[in-house]
Amino acid sequence: MSGAGMNGAGMNGDLERGPGRAITALALGVVVFLQIPVIVVVLAAFSTTSYLTIPPQGLTLAWFGKVLTDPTYLAAIRMSLLLAVGSTLVSLVLGVAAAYALFRKALPGAEAITALLMAPLVLPAVVIGVALLQFYSLTGLRGSLAGLLLAHVVITVPYVVRSALASLSGLDGAVEEAARVLGASGPEAFRLVTLPLILPGLVAGALFSFITSLDNVPVTIFLISASQTTLPVLIFSSVEMGIDPSVAAVSTLLILATGLILLLAERRFGFHRFV
Amino acid sequence: MIARRHALALIAPLALVLTGFFLVPVLMLLPTSFGEYIPGSGLAKGVWTLENYLRIVADDYYREVIWRTLGLGLSVTLACLLLGYPLAYLIARGPDHWRVPLILLVVFPMMLNLVVRSFGWIALLTNRGLVNNLLMQLGLIAQPLKLMFNLTGLMIGLTHIYLPFMVLMLVAAIRNVPRDVEAAAATLGSSRMHVFAAVTLPLSAPGILAGSILVFVLTISALVTPRMLGGPTYKVMATLIYDEYMQLLDWPSGSALSFALTLMAVSIIWASSRLTRRWAGMA
Repeated sequence: MSGAGMNGAGMNGDLERGPGRAITALALGVVVFLQIPVIVVVLAAFSTTSYLTIPPQGLTLAWFGKVLTDPTYLAAIRMSLLLAVGSTLVSLVLGVAAAYALFRKALPGAEAITALLMAPLVLPAVVIGVALLQFYSLTGLRGSLAGLLLAHVVITVPYVVRSALASLSGLDGAVEEAARVLGASGPEAFRLVTLPLILPGLVAGALFSFITSLDNVPVTIFLISASQTTLPVLIFSSVEMGIDPSVAAVSTLLILATGLILLLAERRFGFHRFV
Repeated sequence: MIARRHALALIAPLALVLTGFFLVPVLMLLPTSFGEYIPGSGLAKGVWTLENYLRIVADDYYREVIWRTLGLGLSVTLACLLLGYPLAYLIARGPDHWRVPLILLVVFPMMLNLVVRSFGWIALLTNRGLVNNLLMQLGLIAQPLKLMFNLTGLMIGLTHIYLPFMVLMLVAAIRNVPRDVEAAAATLGSSRMHVFAAVTLPLSAPGILAGSILVFVLTISALVTPRMLGGPTYKVMATLIYDEYMQLLDWPSGSALSFALTLMAVSIIWASSRLTRRWAGMA
């Protein structure tokens, strides 16, 4: 129901004009509220003073220079990207394979399996964090990159499974059968027919996975060693010592990256359909 | 149809990873939560006790933290609902060409790093922060207001962080309300307010419930924002667990609290799915 009916001013034109002025103003106010901390962080990053004033007392790029030459920040950024890319790739492979098996309904107890795959979303992240802390301490995996990567797979894979299942369920199974009839092998039919059709949904799932990994503190903070830290954990711990404009600068870089990724995903795949 | 052994081969790797690195570690917390903590040396060998769980219900400090966590969950959910509904309504029922930009403006802060958003609120709410500076420059207050390390700070920060989830759930719910029914009510002489109260609001109730459960569970589980805006002293359950593990090294107590928090989250989700099913049965 959209389009044609929207413009007609019939006897219920009052309703069809949609939300009234008061609601619209309130709603736009909420949209502004949502952007406030973002704007503040960006302003702080360019400010010459270490605390914020309005208007800013002077503009500088010095904090960005400080961040981009600081080996601690650079190592943390590298670590975060490595984990996010690595865990997303692993989650994609494992998650799509599992979702495909579930979609094909070839397994008994599919409901219980789906519940297991989604469980990391339900449990508080801090609980997963302490559970893995104890487990890794006992098995000697604490502080290892592999342990950290697998922890990130656990928290990111539900997003991939969910979007893969959603995309597959919107698919006409007959298309793949047709490819099989025409002589394609099972893997060929999947790669040439099914995969391209579910790709936009998978991109959205991968994006959620990437951002979840990049965002995570409550699991990561229990598992990192002293020598390796991720960017959000570094920001999290440095804030305890007070506000430093270099934190604002590195945050601004993250804001820019997030905004760019979101715009690209919207342009290429119509990302808003998947949220 | 694919063969069962192919399906098994496809699902086995992920099932193994989740069993080994999620299910087993969480279950292994269970014995720890019945263990006895000895300061300085850790876990007492061969001792089983209910003490860690009893303390959660009996100890005044723990009880205060739990009530605070639940109260915070309720107030943040309510705030998200009140702020989120008008915005969701505008997205679902407003001008068509506003829809995508508005959704992106809701999704953008949601996808932004949590520590970055919390840091933004610190810059705003701290004693020398933007809000206090502005109010003092305008001469409205002489002393800085205490906006952090208390309920106010956590309310503002957590509402901001979970509002997008609520808005997206509500948009989906409001879009599911058939316009014909609203139009019929209006044709039959209902005022716009009445159409909203008698048709749109009740028909979007499942979305309101789903969004509220989501926000409530996320709020009581939150660690990062409560820690950054509440500091080391104003604690909620998640930050208490964090301190039991990282500062006090009292793992038995921390794991008992972990199960208490998990139980709260899971039972609320379970109850709401029961409720939703019953609603669906009535329709």
